[in-house]
Amino acid sequence: MAADPILEIQGLDLGFTAYGQTTQVLHGVDLRIEAGQRVAVIGESGSGKTVTMKTVIGTLPHPAGRVLGGSIRFQGRELLTLSRRERDRLKGTDISIVHQDPLTSFNPVFTIGRHLNDVLRFADRRLGAATDRADRQRRIEATLSQVQLKEPERVLRSYPFQLSGGMRQRVLIAMALLHRPKLLIADEPGTALDVTTQDEIMRLLNQLVSEEQLTLLMVTHNLAIVRQTSDYVYVMQAGRIVEHGAVCDIFGMPRMPYTRQLLDAIPPLYGPRVQRREAHGHSAVITTNGLLKRFVAPRRWLEPASPPVTAVRGATLSISRGDIFGIAGESGSGKTTMARMIMGLLPPTSGRIAIDGRSIEELRKDPAFRHRVQIVYQNPASSLNPRRTVAQTLAVPLAFAGSVGRGERNARIRNLLAQVELPAQFASRYPHQLSGGQKQRVAIARALAVEPEILVLDEPTSALDVSVQKTVIDLLLSLREQLGLTYLFISHDLSLMRNFCNRIAVMFRGEICEQGTTEAVFEHPRHAYTRALIASIPVISEAEERAKPVVTLEERRAVLASTVQ
Amino acid sequence: MTAASDVARVVDEPSNLTRAWRRFLRNPAAVIGALIVISVVAAAVLAPSLASYPAHAGSFVDFRSRHLAPSLVHFMGTDNVGRDIFSRVLFGYRISLLLVVGVLGVAVPLGVLFGLLAGYFAGAVETAVMGFTNVMLAMPPLVMALAITAVLSPDLINSMIAITCLWWTWHCRLVYRVAKSVAAEDFVEAARLAGASHMHVLFRELLPNCTAAISVKTTLDAGFVILFGASLSFLGLGVQPPTPDLGTMVATGAQFLPEMWWEAVMPGLAILYAILGFNLLGDGLRDMMDVEI
Repeated sequence: MAADPILEIQGLDLGFTAYGQTTQVLHGVDLRIEAGQRVAVIGESGSGKTVTMKTVIGTLPHPAGRVLGGSIRFQGRELLTLSRRERDRLKGTDISIVHQDPLTSFNPVFTIGRHLNDVLRFADRRLGAATDRADRQRRIEATLSQVQLKEPERVLRSYPFQLSGGMRQRVLIAMALLHRPKLLIADEPGTALDVTTQDEIMRLLNQLVSEEQLTLLMVTHNLAIVRQTSDYVYVMQAGRIVEHGAVCDIFGMPRMPYTRQLLDAIPPLYGPRVQRREAHGHSAVITTNGLLKRFVAPRRWLEPASPPVTAVRGATLSISRGDIFGIAGESGSGKTTMARMIMGLLPPTSGRIAIDGRSIEELRKDPAFRHRVQIVYQNPASSLNPRRTVAQTLAVPLAFAGSVGRGERNARIRNLLAQVELPAQFASRYPHQLSGGQKQRVAIARALAVEPEILVLDEPTSALDVSVQKTVIDLLLSLREQLGLTYLFISHDLSLMRNFCNRIAVMFRGEICEQGTTEAVFEHPRHAYTRALIASIPVISEAEERAKPVVTLEERRAVLASTVQ
Repeated sequence: MTAASDVARVVDEPSNLTRAWRRFLRNPAAVIGALIVISVVAAAVLAPSLASYPAHAGSFVDFRSRHLAPSLVHFMGTDNVGRDIFSRVLFGYRISLLLVVGVLGVAVPLGVLFGLLAGYFAGAVETAVMGFTNVMLAMPPLVMALAITAVLSPDLINSMIAITCLWWTWHCRLVYRVAKSVAAEDFVEAARLAGASHMHVLFRELLPNCTAAISVKTTLDAGFVILFGASLSFLGLGVQPPTPDLGTMVATGAQFLPEMWWEAVMPGLAILYAILGFNLLGDGLRDMMDVEI
């Protein structure tokens, strides 16, 4: 029967049971994938996309997750009524999955070789065709060469922690491919990686899909990734498929408001930017000169001294009052170290930092300095104390700022909440009763409580869904208008920075490799790394793809910590 | 999700307390443990009115009814001087619980304070506090307690002092570990940057995050303090006769084994009952509050 789709989900209803109550999380999900098709399921966190995939592959938590109705057919066979044994035979062989987190997917005490060998051995055993070690070794090596890993012998001997994130992700893909699956499910692959590495992973997946004629089911929250890797897309919201169609149709003309919202929330890499006031005047408020930070691991008894690590080298920049200054860079580029030095939290090894002409060494001792520079952290889950209500959290900086009376303090708390556009009754809430975006608003309110002039924003939106990200950015922009704040914005998301920052410094291996106005950096990137970084950003339209700077293979090799052979 | 709906979204779920209470009620072992603990506390508090022979708690002697087997008149039999063991067990619980309150009342705050200090302030404070704690932990507890009570005179207060000297170290280690991991969270730095004092961070930011672990550990400890106190009394270093103490009762009764078995077994079962209660309750609390000890 050639007409049978490879996977067909019809009217899938699913619920989770806790404390005797069942909450339905999937409502009549319909999905159809033809052999050889590349399909994406997209939705924000909590939309049910991962649960759907878990039901397909059969790893739903038991007995909490229960299928309430519907059917899942794989090559015409009904999966939901299959015996456990039969179902297990499909897992990892005909249907396999690439997980999101390349670190927790491995057992840290076993080598990569052992992982791959075990996967193959167990799968062969399930199929009733036990194989010998030499045969398995041959198949493992063949698969590893497919995912283009550098030095496969070394990788096989390594433990998971010895590999970079990109290499681990490649091994995960190899693991999924070992058994020549008919359907490959990719659950947000590369989300945890830097953009340049993620870009490489996407290229690899695309290449593998076309070479092996795989059927790909991509699960992601990133619309740009959908455009790169899929032909057909299903949009999920609150456990329902709200829209589906060919990628070009959906992206060109989304019918549902939800889809349009998702598309609108993505900051465009090219085209018009949000219009806003430039810096007031040109007086520099923060200046750094030849900043150097070297970390030396404490010497341990009877162990050789480890070489010092240079996190920031020769960083010189100047931030004007009222500006939005961005420091861009990937993980390990030294951007957070920069920010912490400017905050006075970390003493520089050498070089000079001055705020309004006064050196940071002098300011660190001055308690009034803390009134002027505040920070908003990346992860709102860890920056708010789970045991303190919003009001209790805000009371600390308010007491510091001089509001002592109870009445005055409560009035200020209401004011602050209004400033970050939260209702006043949120004051009595605990962090677990707030959503991610709400928590981040509380964190912003805490930073504003001491009425600072400078706000350091350490990736304030990277832990949030894209639509929530947009609202937080809009809030930050309007707060700057009202309060005349200076922002130092740390991020790895260049397309977001393009729409938010006035000036950008790009950091590469501890050095500022390029800085200038946002227009200059994006229109005429000079450094090869900046070009490679911009070229790696996933975009949602073909036009933007073409507008990206050209990066030669030599340049890529030179600047990117590539995992390719 | 629009801006407005994100802001106004109310996360409608049962409060932490309600949820924890439900989880507790679903755990039969924890409920049984709680009932046992309540019964032990009630027995101790109401001992004078519950005991069939309250006078027997003191230096009462009735040689005509010595070594009587358990019966309806004497539920647990009588001892070598004719005192009702059931009455003495009820009064024995008073001594045991007094010991628990005395020891944990001092050891827990002390251990928590040092643990918080060591977990929050890295460097010299951490090295000094944890070094001292580890040295204390390296000494065999019973030997240590024997040494202390041998120097001081053996009585209830001194055995309390001996056990307290040993006990705070466990709480110190536990709180140290929890506080150290909590101190690495961003909210601690954020509070400092917002102008909070070290005192505020220690007692308002860190301590509330340690309470779950502390309460579970304290509940489990209550049982072990009873056992440790009984061990000391058994060796003659704890409470002195004629005060009814479960450990002393087991020691005296042991001389008449196996014929007059009830004289050692009944107080022994009473110890077991109390410890079982505290342990079940502690395990239940651990599941309920989702902490690792």
